[in-house]
Amino acid sequence: MKKLFLGLFAALAALTLVGCRKTPAKSDSKVFHIMAWNEEFKGFFEKYVCDERAKFVEAAEKKDDSLKPKEYHYDGKLVKWTIVPSEGGQYQKSLDQHLKANETASDDEKVDMFLAEADYILKYSNSKYTTPIKDLGVYNLSNTYEYTSQVASDSKGVVKGVSFQCCPAGVIYRRSIAKAVFGTDDPAKVQEKISNWDKFNAVAADMKAKGYYMTSSFAETYRAFSNNVTQPWVNDDLKLQFDPQIEAWMAQAENFIKNEYTLTAGIWEDGCTNEMFATGKTFCWFGPAWYYNFCMGNAQDETKGCFGDWAVCEGPAYYYWGGTWLMGAAGGNDDYLVGKCMNSFINDKDVCKALVKNEGQFSNNQKANKEVAAEYEKEGTGNAFLGGQNDTKFYLDLAKRIQIKGMTIYDQYCNEGLQKAFGEFLKGAVATKADAIANFKTQLHIDCPEIVFE
Amino acid sequence: MDNIKSIRKVESNDTEPKKRIQKGVSYAKWGYIFIIPFFLVYLAFTLYPQIKTFIFSFQKYFESGLNVFGPKWNNFGNYVALFTKSENGVVMIVKAFTNTMIMWLMGAVFQFLISLVLAVFFTSSRLRLKATGFFKAVFYMPNLIMASAFAFLFYALFNTVGPINQLAQMMGWADKPIDFISTYPWSTRTLVATMNFILWFGNTTILLMAGIMGIDESLFESARMDGASSNRVFFDITLPLLKPILVYVLITSLIGGLQMYDVPYLLTKGGGEPNFSTMTIVMLLNKYLSANNYGMAGAVAVVLFVITGGLSFLVFRMIRRKDD
Amino acid sequence: MESNNYQLIDRKADQAAKVKLTIERTLVYIFLVFLTIICLFFFYLLFVNATRSHAEIQSGFTLIPSKHFFENFQKMWNLSGMAPVRKGLRNSFIIASISSVLTTYFSALTAYGVYAYNFKGKKFVETFILLIMMIPSQVSSVGFLEMCNEMHWTNQYWVLIVPGIAAPATFFYMIQHLRATLPLDLVEASRMDGSSEFMTFNRIVLPIMKPALAVQLIFSFVASWNNLYLPTLLITKTELKTLPTMLALLRSADFANMDNGLIYMVIFISIFPVMLVYLFLSRAIIKGVTSGSVKG
Repeated sequence: MKKLFLGLFAALAALTLVGCRKTPAKSDSKVFHIMAWNEEFKGFFEKYVCDERAKFVEAAEKKDDSLKPKEYHYDGKLVKWTIVPSEGGQYQKSLDQHLKANETASDDEKVDMFLAEADYILKYSNSKYTTPIKDLGVYNLSNTYEYTSQVASDSKGVVKGVSFQCCPAGVIYRRSIAKAVFGTDDPAKVQEKISNWDKFNAVAADMKAKGYYMTSSFAETYRAFSNNVTQPWVNDDLKLQFDPQIEAWMAQAENFIKNEYTLTAGIWEDGCTNEMFATGKTFCWFGPAWYYNFCMGNAQDETKGCFGDWAVCEGPAYYYWGGTWLMGAAGGNDDYLVGKCMNSFINDKDVCKALVKNEGQFSNNQKANKEVAAEYEKEGTGNAFLGGQNDTKFYLDLAKRIQIKGMTIYDQYCNEGLQKAFGEFLKGAVATKADAIANFKTQLHIDCPEIVFE
Repeated sequence: MDNIKSIRKVESNDTEPKKRIQKGVSYAKWGYIFIIPFFLVYLAFTLYPQIKTFIFSFQKYFESGLNVFGPKWNNFGNYVALFTKSENGVVMIVKAFTNTMIMWLMGAVFQFLISLVLAVFFTSSRLRLKATGFFKAVFYMPNLIMASAFAFLFYALFNTVGPINQLAQMMGWADKPIDFISTYPWSTRTLVATMNFILWFGNTTILLMAGIMGIDESLFESARMDGASSNRVFFDITLPLLKPILVYVLITSLIGGLQMYDVPYLLTKGGGEPNFSTMTIVMLLNKYLSANNYGMAGAVAVVLFVITGGLSFLVFRMIRRKDD
Repeated sequence: MESNNYQLIDRKADQAAKVKLTIERTLVYIFLVFLTIICLFFFYLLFVNATRSHAEIQSGFTLIPSKHFFENFQKMWNLSGMAPVRKGLRNSFIIASISSVLTTYFSALTAYGVYAYNFKGKKFVETFILLIMMIPSQVSSVGFLEMCNEMHWTNQYWVLIVPGIAAPATFFYMIQHLRATLPLDLVEASRMDGSSEFMTFNRIVLPIMKPALAVQLIFSFVASWNNLYLPTLLITKTELKTLPTMLALLRSADFANMDNGLIYMVIFISIFPVMLVYLFLSRAIIKGVTSGSVKG
């Protein structure tokens, strides 16, 4: 069997060689080592691509954990996970240690593949510790969405990572409140009302007049602004700069708080999510498809929630939120397996369709998404949480329009730092906007001493 | 060095006579052998890192992204930077020191007052309290919980949708949720001080009790014979005689207080909010450490070392002068 | 009995004094009970929340226990993935017990070495250890972490255990205890019996130090058991992680997987062993807190 495999592989390698492509060689290491900060991807990996996937699915179907494989293999190699939580920067710290030691580490310890988020992916794609995906055997990106490659490209435009999800995001709103205020809850008509920021801000005033909040966190709209910046946070001279989009967000947040269009809670705080109960007075949240299950537990609560009273529309700006990129670690043993895994999650239509259908994901394969959307359309099944709206179809177009510019390795510090410091101003913990920005710079200077200010 | 000697004076007055007996034993090499493990481990895992820290504090040495800058000699550059006003017009290390002292004092005042009172109660032959063992055990208990678990509970109680706010709204004391944790500097500081108080007052009580019990009982007896009120006994006998121990406990508490870290860190999720008003020296150190800035973290550590040493020295000098 | 000294006329005053004492006592008890409630409240809250489901905890606050204790316990017990709590319990136990034994034993040994032998520099050694006791541990942590990173000392328990051999505070406690309890004649006598120095320490001195050893054993066990800082930074392998690290992991779980009932249960289970030991040994511990640190 093994010989047959090797033979097949040789033939395959020969074939690709004819195509003048550099295919990574198979190694004799025994372990395929993946690093991640949580278990989301691990679940998908075990269910859809690893050698034991059939067994895994069987165990899940029979709801019998004892049937679950004890170990998982990928192309015959034992899959090993190192999971470190991202809280407090632990994941990156641990990952950095591993990557720097990767060349000299023992076979078992070498990291082959790791996961990264958009906020800090540039740190890795711009380094020598990641392998260009074409050297891993990933050549076909035609099915993917463009922004997912933009995010994972280094400064020279070489793509270093592949996202297994696509996360176009929109405005998720309460149908009942839309009806009460606009007289309609139809996504197309609601979109009309909030299609740009001026309209959005005007609607906020209407909401307030009727006793509602527009949003329930001052930072709710942040990503819709920050995704559309035209200049990076830090320029080539390492100077910090505020993009007009960021300025616009600050102005909006200040205005919203002053007029009580929103609350001072952070987007992850209970003060914000408690508004999702049926008793909540908040019109909308900003989020992608994963937001429903990940953050809207209160809305889905059986007794206190308001399942089905929701819908999604584009909102005032195109943006995305989240996504997890797979990257190949330089010095790893199993580049060919990294490539194989990446290909499965972007080019294997069955896997991608399963992600959409079973996992509530929006995949990074346009064809798969389209087919599922069409199936839903044909069956007339939509998303019950969204009152039957076919959101898969809705996200199809949105995803193609997202463009990303001006990313830097400092984005995570800047985005999180500004939200936190500015939030203190809005809460009244800091007297003026200037003080808040000064605090933001102070913290940034501790985190990244090389950045200079005016 | 001086302060250390004086600690010993306070601690171990009873060692002098025994020294004479010791002279009979002369197996000196065993003394060395027995302390070797301690010192080897100390050298490798404490002193060597400490020297490293000290050296880093004079170097530009940090990581940004995956790139390492330095180590490169920077003379006093880190210290200058540390004592330079930040973007927000504040010298962060001074702010951190002030915060630390304020929060320590807020807790310590109550901690010492109440512990002193409790210690007097527990040792009072007049009150003859029952079940003191139970009370002592209970008061000491919080000291054994993980600070993180404790902070988690406090957070659950005091956040904007927590029970305290629910109660306040139900009772009509507040029409909007009050953000106890991250908006008002004094509210957050009070929470930190309260937590420190609950964690430590039992410990202080027990230490002070031991001190009181160490006082010659006959002194109390004769005072009572003379018809002294319990207040007089406390101020004229207990307190003066308790002073050495009180000072010792105070100093240990101060040194512990200067290293305050986990409680404010966990309550504010590392930020030291609001407006950096609960950021302690060690939290600042940790901010630099988590930014992989070994140079600046080293400088903060050295400053902390100097402050700790200086403060204990000062307090001892002060006490001794009064004694003279 | 004191009343014998009083004359009959003073009986009324005596009576009044008694009433006053009773009132005072009552007030003192009320104060003590109040503090007791404060101290126990947190433990109770913890217990109550460990009996409630995530949904119940999210829906509000109560002081009445619910019925999900065993469900939470089972969930906790069967956790696998990134926070296998059962393994965490085992790991924490291994690290805490070995390091507390080492800390206690070597501190006693060092203290005995300094106390019982006259050697050159003996005074200096003691002063030196007292001096380093004053140095905040954070001062070395900067260099220590850098050293561990450089030497790739990650995922190795010994890095968390061995440094405990040099514990200045424990040393200080031990030497105070020795001064109070160990007459050197005893050492001399044992020597006459032909016992080697090392044997004398193990067979004669250690048993005498039992109470001090017990107290320090527990203190260092608790310190190591609760330690979050270094294990988080130095242990990255899931199967090697300690309980506090896993607790932090569970708390940082994403919203969809967040289970507060489970988290409270893990806190409960991590405090439980310490509390159990404390229940039996509280008397000794309280005695110990004082005997080593203050000798007036």
